[in-house]
Amino acid sequence: MKQILLVTDGCSNVGMSPVVAAAHAKSEGIAVNVVGILDYGDVGELGASEIEEIARAGGGLSRLVNMRQLSQTVQMMTRKTAVQTIQLAVQKELKQVLGNGSIEALPPEKRSEVVRVIDELGETSKLQVALLIDASASMKPKLRAVEEAIHDLMLSLQARQGQSEIAVFHFPSSKHGEDCKLDLDWTDNLKGISSIFTKFPMSGTTPTGPAMMQVIDFYRQGDYGKKSRNDETDGMMSDYVV
Amino acid sequence: MTTSFKLNLRRGAVVTGKWKHSRYRVERLLGEGANGKVYLVHADRGWCALKVGIDAIDLQSEINVLQALEKQDRKQTYLYEVDDLLGEDGKEYPFYIMRYVRGVTISDFLDKNGPEWFPLIGLNLLGKLAELHRRGWVFGDLKIDNVLVADYGYVELVDYGGVTAMGKGIRQFTEIYDRGFWNAGTRSADARYDLFSFAMLCIMLHEPKKLHALTGGLPQIRSTEELERLIGECKGLAPVAGWLRQALGGQFFDASEGAEAWRRLLHRRDTRVKSAKTPGWLKGLAAVSAVVLGISVYWLLRSGI
Repeated sequence: MKQILLVTDGCSNVGMSPVVAAAHAKSEGIAVNVVGILDYGDVGELGASEIEEIARAGGGLSRLVNMRQLSQTVQMMTRKTAVQTIQLAVQKELKQVLGNGSIEALPPEKRSEVVRVIDELGETSKLQVALLIDASASMKPKLRAVEEAIHDLMLSLQARQGQSEIAVFHFPSSKHGEDCKLDLDWTDNLKGISSIFTKFPMSGTTPTGPAMMQVIDFYRQGDYGKKSRNDETDGMMSDYVV
Repeated sequence: MTTSFKLNLRRGAVVTGKWKHSRYRVERLLGEGANGKVYLVHADRGWCALKVGIDAIDLQSEINVLQALEKQDRKQTYLYEVDDLLGEDGKEYPFYIMRYVRGVTISDFLDKNGPEWFPLIGLNLLGKLAELHRRGWVFGDLKIDNVLVADYGYVELVDYGGVTAMGKGIRQFTEIYDRGFWNAGTRSADARYDLFSFAMLCIMLHEPKKLHALTGGLPQIRSTEELERLIGECKGLAPVAGWLRQALGGQFFDASEGAEAWRRLLHRRDTRVKSAKTPGWLKGLAAVSAVVLGISVYWLLRSGI
């Protein structure tokens, strides 16, 4: 299960539309969740509708919250979306058996069995969450709460039985030609990491769409790396067989 | 995170199950949980509680836990019926029917009946948790709202949405009662998780304002030492302060060990009080009266035969 969790407080203003980027993510099998942070003024009607649109395009959830609710929201969204991903996969399988494919339409006894499978898979499947943090000027006072939420998310993920990893990006990046900066590569442990965000660019732009595309690329590269490695071992195995 | 949940069942409305066609008359809203609302309803079998969910998968997951519990424990009925209802908005909502538990929250009970009930209620609550732990479950979302107290300190757990099989990730929790939130351990389901929440519940009953004030601090500073300091400052918690520190530190293996320690704590005070109030001459008098009783019984039997 792959997820991108976007934490932002407003509208993107540079480059590709984040809604299009989120649709790209979905087509790659990555669900996009969006949290809009409300403190210090409103995200505005435009921001609110964009946040909702991104999540809809990305097949994920969106919420507008205060900083105090951030940790709990991030944790619950990740969990819910993971269940949803499994649910969609199971539903697809069911389609051949049942025709309509909706779990809700099953009688309670059958539903019980299906949900047992969903719960089990949700708890044991591998889960990756790439957090994409809007670090534009207006978000700066909120970054401490964001960091706390990341630590809290890791704690919840560690309680799962399946393998769980997170990676953290922020945008915009100060480096030329880069839309977001990788702060933390895939990890299943945050012990000893007290500060995830070290250097901030002073740029005021919010290239949400391009940043998301870069994260999708990062996912793709990771998969590619793994695939080629598998190929290598396969090759070695076949050598042995021969 | 509260999910917007538009479904409202009005007083007097009659709910009919889609699959089993049972009818329930809605009396009033009892409470709102993380994934649904609970109503008091009247059915052929009498008063019941109806929990209606937003999400069929979420609610079914909770129902599965209740069914598993029921299989292990034939004495108690957790579930009467599972069905779907048609809301006014034309959508179908899943619901289940359970036993109606009459009672008030611990804080309301203590306000009305006095703080001397606290040790007994604590013990009864630990007993309830111990039953779950014995069967391999953790309650998870233990908090003031999820415990009801009836007459004479009888305790019932309500809202099983957080109940988790040991070893899995806690399904539902509330930050201020959560071990992870206080940097005191993992969010995996083990018996000690519930005991941590139980200790938080005790603090919440006595020092709600000070406890809330602590949550505002930086996450790095949040620790059990802060909580221990709070316990030390609170007079009402003095008799159980040592116990609470042990629970926060995860030193009890499970709730039955915790309950045993809690009982010893209360018992020790009882015995101390008793022994001080029983003077030697009273014991002597008791011995004499026993002898007299023996003799009179002997005479009675002799004269009878």
